[in-house]
Amino acid sequence: MSHGVPRVSSKRDDERDRKSIDDYQALVQQVNAQMQAQEYTSDTLALTSRLLSINPEFYTAWNHRRKLLSHLMATSAAPGVDLITADLAFLIPLLKLYPKCYWLWNYRIWLLEQAELYAPKEALAIWRGELALVAHMLTRDERNFHGWGYRRRVVMAVERLEGTSLAEEELVYTGAAIRRALQNFSAFHYRSKLLGRVLDERGATDAQRRRVFDNELDISQEALVDPFNQSAWFYHQFLMRCVVEQTILRLTTAEKAAYFESEMARVEEMLEDYDDCKWIYQALLQYAMEFHKLRPEAVACSKLQSWLSHLRRLDPLRAGRWADLETTL
Amino acid sequence: MSLVAGPGRGGALSSGPSPQQLHTNAHIRYIQTLDKRRDEFEYWLTEHLRLNGLYWGLTALHLLGKPDALPRAEVLDFVLSCLHESGGMGAAPGHDAHMLYTVSGVQILALVDGFEELEARVPGWKEKIAKSVIAGLQDPATGTFFGDQYGEPDTRFLYGALNALSLLGRLDFVDVPRAVTYIKSCANPDGGYGNSPGAESHSGQIFTCLAALSIADRLDTVDMEHLAGWLSERQVSEGEGKGGLNGRPEKKEDVCYSWWVLSSLAMLNRVHWIDGKALESFILRCQDPEHGGISDRPGDMVDVFHTVFGLAGLSLLKFPGLEEVDPVYCLPRSVTRKVLGK
Ligand SMILES: [Zn+2]
Repeated sequence: MSHGVPRVSSKRDDERDRKSIDDYQALVQQVNAQMQAQEYTSDTLALTSRLLSINPEFYTAWNHRRKLLSHLMATSAAPGVDLITADLAFLIPLLKLYPKCYWLWNYRIWLLEQAELYAPKEALAIWRGELALVAHMLTRDERNFHGWGYRRRVVMAVERLEGTSLAEEELVYTGAAIRRALQNFSAFHYRSKLLGRVLDERGATDAQRRRVFDNELDISQEALVDPFNQSAWFYHQFLMRCVVEQTILRLTTAEKAAYFESEMARVEEMLEDYDDCKWIYQALLQYAMEFHKLRPEAVACSKLQSWLSHLRRLDPLRAGRWADLETTL
Repeated sequence: MSLVAGPGRGGALSSGPSPQQLHTNAHIRYIQTLDKRRDEFEYWLTEHLRLNGLYWGLTALHLLGKPDALPRAEVLDFVLSCLHESGGMGAAPGHDAHMLYTVSGVQILALVDGFEELEARVPGWKEKIAKSVIAGLQDPATGTFFGDQYGEPDTRFLYGALNALSLLGRLDFVDVPRAVTYIKSCANPDGGYGNSPGAESHSGQIFTCLAALSIADRLDTVDMEHLAGWLSERQVSEGEGKGGLNGRPEKKEDVCYSWWVLSSLAMLNRVHWIDGKALESFILRCQDPEHGGISDRPGDMVDVFHTVFGLAGLSLLKFPGLEEVDPVYCLPRSVTRKVLGK
């Protein structure tokens, strides 16, 4: 699949193509022949390195490499840890060149799992080292889906091997990522998953939970300095849902209503500077419906109608959705 | 079927024919000639997608009303050449078996009505592929699926498994309720789903989860209003890509999301929550009117992947002249009706 391959001259160099094809096919054939003959040697391993550097999407060659490495680790005199760290190093330039290659990340996780078998003493340090690598990868592309997934995977492994929780550390990590880029959806998402865990692990009292929660509301409001920031709205909506669903807080109905009242006031205030931002009207309508369940007649019907008409004007692409919404008001 | 990008580029030239029409014949020719590009290096570099590519190309031809535009015997022979002793399929001869290719193989067989024929040529094939290959990749502890014996589990593989098994009529080989429980554990507060518990919502993963739940007949577990709202926000309101859909908040629009997002809205009966005309116009702008094919966005190189998902998106929008597509399987509705008997 070619994602974002820009308009370039399509004039091909037939001569060069033919040469590349011949070399490539010869290499593939050689690797296949040596695998077939079960030549599980460092020479075959080097051939797969060459092949995979040309084409990291060649998933079968990653499987060859797994077989080769397993064999070498089980039989060679060299300590397993040397083979594993050498292979981890081999992957680094490839990950930088092809950060979205699924097979590459997948292979790296397999490799790290082998550390637990063949280098049990060093395994934890090796997994820990991955946290620094992935942090580096995520500063290069802070929304890389594979990168964030990989980070969660590494954290799980470290937690398992250490028998501790990294939730506090990770919460700090997301805070820093959000401060670097207030539009970092991935970081806000991760934070939404960590918050409840951190509070449980701290054994937080109701009052302590409230304090943490209020601070999170402030973080999302700060990010909403730009009310077009969808990531910040995601987080604010998540928090308002926590109020309703009592997942991380314990509140009376009056306290819940008070949260809606004050947050809606803060959101409504944004209209003074941004009366053309559809996200504000959308949030107001959504919160008003929740608020209504807590305190009937809390928001005047005329207000709802006015917000909805602004929304329709500002967001005509989703006219069908707003028409459906009108029937539920 | 080659996965080589180009030769054409999406985005009509000002002198060319009107960009707001569907260039059916150009697309048919484009797909028919894909496998004739063996003199290009990229043809060989994309061999790991060959069987998927055949499924994408063949589905596109079906949607364009030309199901016989590729020689059926060659299609069957190629699928057979990807089949391993174990029953699984690889991307091409010499490539290892993996769920992604096994599923494409089954879908191709459904498209060419080839189940019986393969059974005659490789007796016991159907049972083997369903039982020892696909069902064997379910994680009994969590209900999700692996892609092969090495990799990490992913809801993509879970969907693929239910897709292929339902086409083969052997869903009874796996623990469907446990798979549903797993999908529920991947749900996020925004209504969407990630590829594993805790992962961020992503349109591609939402499609796989919704389609798997549709096959399991458990759409009742979905947080419908939030999810449909999130999906509708994927339509980009301004800029060059206006009308196109993106995969996650604050990402660029891309034709393949015309499929992942729109099919998901279709499964939720909320296609009308986005502007169909604006999306239609965006997809049509990504065509190469001359050489055929559709690209991810105007100005980029076309490929068969974006061609099929662009056409499937247009089909969901009921674009005139296209066959109806099944939002759960990305196969022509006539094919799923016949194979599933419903
Ligand atoms: Zn795409």
